[in-house]
Amino acid sequence: MGAKKASPDLLNSSFSFKSLKLKTKQQELLLRVSILGLVYVLAFIARLFSVLRYESMIHEFDPYFNYRTTLFLTEKGFYEFWNWFDSESWYPLGRIIGGTLYPGLMVTAALIYWTLRFLRFFVHIREVCVLTAPFFASNTTIVAYFFGKEIWDTGAGLVAAALIAICPGYISRSVAGSYDNEAVAIFALLLTFYLFVKAVKTGSLSWALGSAFGYFYMVSAWGGYVFIINLVPLYVLVLLITGRYSMRLYVAYNCMYILGMLLAMQIRFVGFQHVQSGEHMGAMGVFLLMQVFYFLDWVKYQLNDTKLFQTFLRITVTSAILVGGIALGVGTASGYISPWTGRFYSLLDPTYAKDHIPIIASVSEHQPTAWSSFMFDYHILLFLFPAGLYFCFKRLSDATIFIVMYGLTSLYFAGVMVRLILVATPAVCLISAIAVSATVKNLTSLLRTKQKVPQTGSTKGVGSSKSSSKVTLDQSQPFQKNGAIALLVGVFYLLSRYAIHCTWVTSEAYSSPSIVLAARGAHGNRIIFDDYREAYYWLRQNTPTDAKVMSWWDYGYQITAMGNRTVIVDNNTWNNTHIATVGRAMSSYEDEAYDIMRSLDVNYVLVVFGGVTGYSSDDINKFLWMVRIGGGVYPVIKEPDYLVNGEFRVDKGASPKMLNCLMYKLCYYRFGELVTEYGKPTGYDRARGVEIGNKDIKLEHLEEAYTTSNWIVRIYRVKPPTNRL
Amino acid sequence: MTDHTTLPHRFFLSISLLSILAGSQPDLTKELVSLRSSSESGVIRLNDDTVSKFITSVATPRPYSLIIFFNSADLNSNPLQEFLSEFAFVSASFIANNNNNNRSDVANKLFFCEIDESSDSESFGLFGIQFLPQICLVDPLMENLQDKTGRMEEEDVDGTAESVLEFIESRTNLTVGPLRRPPLLSKTQISVIAALITISAPFLIKKVLNGETIFNNNRVWQYGAVLVYFFSVSGTMHNIIKGVPMFVRDHQDSNKLVFFYEGANFQLGAEGFSVGLLYNVVGLLLAYVSYALVRVRNVSEQRVVMMLAMVVSLLAVKKVVYLNNWKTGYQIQTYWPSSWH
Repeated sequence: MGAKKASPDLLNSSFSFKSLKLKTKQQELLLRVSILGLVYVLAFIARLFSVLRYESMIHEFDPYFNYRTTLFLTEKGFYEFWNWFDSESWYPLGRIIGGTLYPGLMVTAALIYWTLRFLRFFVHIREVCVLTAPFFASNTTIVAYFFGKEIWDTGAGLVAAALIAICPGYISRSVAGSYDNEAVAIFALLLTFYLFVKAVKTGSLSWALGSAFGYFYMVSAWGGYVFIINLVPLYVLVLLITGRYSMRLYVAYNCMYILGMLLAMQIRFVGFQHVQSGEHMGAMGVFLLMQVFYFLDWVKYQLNDTKLFQTFLRITVTSAILVGGIALGVGTASGYISPWTGRFYSLLDPTYAKDHIPIIASVSEHQPTAWSSFMFDYHILLFLFPAGLYFCFKRLSDATIFIVMYGLTSLYFAGVMVRLILVATPAVCLISAIAVSATVKNLTSLLRTKQKVPQTGSTKGVGSSKSSSKVTLDQSQPFQKNGAIALLVGVFYLLSRYAIHCTWVTSEAYSSPSIVLAARGAHGNRIIFDDYREAYYWLRQNTPTDAKVMSWWDYGYQITAMGNRTVIVDNNTWNNTHIATVGRAMSSYEDEAYDIMRSLDVNYVLVVFGGVTGYSSDDINKFLWMVRIGGGVYPVIKEPDYLVNGEFRVDKGASPKMLNCLMYKLCYYRFGELVTEYGKPTGYDRARGVEIGNKDIKLEHLEEAYTTSNWIVRIYRVKPPTNRL
Repeated sequence: MTDHTTLPHRFFLSISLLSILAGSQPDLTKELVSLRSSSESGVIRLNDDTVSKFITSVATPRPYSLIIFFNSADLNSNPLQEFLSEFAFVSASFIANNNNNNRSDVANKLFFCEIDESSDSESFGLFGIQFLPQICLVDPLMENLQDKTGRMEEEDVDGTAESVLEFIESRTNLTVGPLRRPPLLSKTQISVIAALITISAPFLIKKVLNGETIFNNNRVWQYGAVLVYFFSVSGTMHNIIKGVPMFVRDHQDSNKLVFFYEGANFQLGAEGFSVGLLYNVVGLLLAYVSYALVRVRNVSEQRVVMMLAMVVSLLAVKKVVYLNNWKTGYQIQTYWPSSWH
C-alpha cells in the first residue's frame, strides 16, 4: 500500500519486491525445488572423490569390459555391436557379445555421448562412461523423491532423496568410474517400482505402461531384474491374500506383466527364458490367478445367488489348482520349464552355493553379510528402519505395503550376499525417510502449536477439543515443548553423524579405483602404485598383436580392454571347464602346466603378486580358489595337497606341491634375492608376513618377460618347444 | 628234491583249504544274510562272539567284506546317533539297490555292521579304537584288525551318508547305487495331511472370502516384519551359511567366552543378534514415543517413559557405533574445510 506514494524508482523496486513475495504454497514449492536441486548436485559431487584424487578412469574389473563394448558401439554402430563375435576373449572359444550381455548400460552411455556430440560438446567416450554412474545416481534421488511422496508425503520424499544421495550402500556401486550395470540398474529398478505403485494407486493404463517400459530398461541393464519380476507378483499375491484385490490392481499388473514380458523378450540374453525358466514362473502364476479373481468377480456379479456362487467357487478353485499343478509338473518333467539357475538358487537356499558352485562362492561380493557391513553401508538408517516400518503399518495402504515388502525381501537377500545391499538401499532409505519425516513433522507441529496457543488464546483450535483433554494438554505443554526440542536435537544429531559417516566412507573406502593402488608411506604421504596399467601398456606395446595371455579370470577384462590382447578366460564366468583348465595349469608342476599351456596356444602368462608391496588381494591369496575350481573339474587337483594341516602356507613349512606349482614359481621367481623390509631376511613376503620357502626357483619352459616397478604384475613368456630332431 | 615233494604237497593243502573254505563259508554268509534280514536297515549288530566268529576265526580270503560302525550308546551323543542313522541309510540303499534277483551275489559281498562300546568293549580293544566316530572296512584279506588302512580317514568322516558311500565305493569295487533316503513324510502322513487339507479347504476359502484369516490381521504382519528385519540385519544368513557358533572359547583362557569377533567380514552368532536387538530397540522406541506415548494421560508417566526412552536410545546408538568402530578398525572423522585448520 505504501508503494503508491513513493517515487517511480522506489515504486519499481517495491513492485518487484512485492511480486517476489510469495504465497506460502509457492514458498514451499520453491523450497522443495531448491532442496531437490541441491540434493541432485550433492549426489553427483559426492561421487567425484575418485576423480579428484586419482584421475578420470574406469575402475575395477567388469567396467573395463563395459567400456570396451561401449567403445565398440560408438565406433561401429549398434548393428555391428549387436552381432559382435569377440575372438579376443575366451580363446579358443570366443564369445558372442551381443547375445550374452545386457546392453542397457552401453546404449545409455552411447546415447549420452551422441547427444553431447550433437550439442557440439566434443568429449571423449571415456569421460561419459566415468560420469554415467554419478549422473544416474542423481536421477535416482529424483525418483526417490517422487516415490517417497507417493507412499507418504513430500517431506518424506525430500528426506528420502537426501538419504539416498549419500547412502554408502548405493555410493559403493556408483562412484565416478564404476561403469557397471548396477549404475543405471538401481535407477531403473526404483523407477519401475515407483511407476508400478503409481499404477496400482491410480489404476491408470498410462502409469502401468510406464512401469512396463521401466521394466524393459531394467531388463536391458542388469540381471537383477529377476528381483522385480518376483517381487511384483509376490506383492500382488499378498494384496490378493489380504483381500485388497481391486480393478486398479488388475489393470496395473496385467498391463505391466504382459507388456513387460514382451519387451523383455527382445533382449537376446533373456529371450525365451522369460516364459520358460523357473525364476519367471511365479509372475505367470500370479497373472493366471488374477484372471481367476477377475472371472470370479464377474461370475459373482452375474449370479447374484450366494449359494450358487459358493458351489461354483469350489469347483473352479479345485479345478484351477489341479490344472496348474499338472501343467507345472508336466512342464518341469518335459524340461520345458528349466530349473532355477545356481545364482538364484543360492539366494533361496543359502548353503547351496557353498557346497555346489565354487565359482560363485569364490567371488568376495557373493559372501554373506556380517552385521558390521550393514552398519558400514546404512549407519543410522538401521535404527530408523523399524520405526519406519511401524509408521507404515499405522497408515497401511497399497503403497506402504509395497515398500515394506520391498524392504524386507531385499534385506533378506542382502543378508545372503554382500553385493545385494545395493538393491536394498533404496527401500531402506525410503522407509527410514518415513520415520524421519513423520517424527520431525510431529515434533515441529507440536512446537508450533505451543507458540500459537498464547496468541490465539481459547479461540478455535483448542476450544473445539474436549475440556478434559484440554487440561492435560495445557499442563504438559512446557514439558512437551522441551521434550520435543530434545528429540529434535537428537534426530538432527543422528542425521549429521550420518552425513559425516557417509562422506568419510565414500572418501576412504569406496573411491579407490582398484586398478591404481594407494598406500600410506612411512611419513603419512600417499604412495600410488600404477603397476596394472604399466603392465597392460607393456603388453600392448611389446607383444605380437595375436599373442594369447593366460591369467586368472579376474584380470581378463582389463587385459583385453587395456592391453588389447587375447585372453584365455575373463570375468564372464560362463564356461566353468575353461576356467578350471586355467586353475589346473596354475596349480600343476611346470612341465604339466606347459602341456596345458601349449594346448591352449598360450604365449604369455600374467600373475599378480603383492609380496613386495603388501597388496593382499593377489594371486597367491586367491590361489586356493584356483585349486578348488580346478579340482571341481579335474579331480587330479586336490586341495589337501596344497595345505599343511588344513593351513595354507608359503613359507618353509608349506607342502612340497605348493612350493613347486606354477603359480608359486611365477610369483616368487627371483624373489629370494630381494630384501623387501629392513631387518628382515631376503625373500620376506610382506603380504603374508613370512619368509618364503623356496628361494631358488628355476624356470624351464617359461622366462620372465616383464615385471612392473613394484612387482605387482609379473609377465612371463612361454618358450616355444625345442626342436625335435 | 625237497622242492619237488613239497610242491604237490602245498598244492594239495591249498586245494583242501579251498574246499574247506567252499564248504564252511557259504554257511557264514548265509548266517550273515539271515542276521541282516532280521534288522530293518540291514545293519548287523556284532558282539564279541560274532566278531570272532565272522572275522578273527575265519581264514583270510573271507568271501565277504564287513564295514563296521563303532558306536557307543553310553556316550549319549546326538551327532553320533545321527551318523549311525545315516550309516543305516547307506546300508538300506545298498541292499535295496543290489538285492535284485540277478545281483544278490553283489549284495552278499558286503555287510554293514555296528559294534557298541558299552556292551562289547573287548572288540573295541581288538580294533584299537581310541575315538569316535570311526568306520572300518574289514576287507576279505585283512588280518591285523589294528591296521589303520581300513579306517575311514578322519577328515572324511563328516557324519553324512554321502561320505560313507564315497568311502565304500573308493575302497571296494562295489557300487552302492543311489542313496534312498526315506521321504520326509511317510505315505500315511501325506494322505492324512491331504485329507485334512481337502476337508478344511471349504472353510478356509470361506474365511479368505470373508477376510477373516490370520493374514488379514495387521498385527501378524507387523510382528513378522520386525522379526524378518531383525534376522536380516543381525546377519543370521551369515551365521547359517558359514556355520558360525554363537560364541567361542578364548584360546588362552578356556573359561573365558568370546562373544565378539574383531574383523569386519566375520561375526559370531551372539554378537549379530545383540546388535540387531539394539537396532530394533531404538527404532521401536522411536515409534512408540511418537505413536503410543502421546496418548498416555498421566503426564509424569509420560515424562519418565520419554526420558528413559531417550537415555536408552542414546546408549544403544553409542554402543553400536563403538562396537562398529572397534570391529572394523575404522575411525570416522569429519572433513572440515582446510581453511579452518
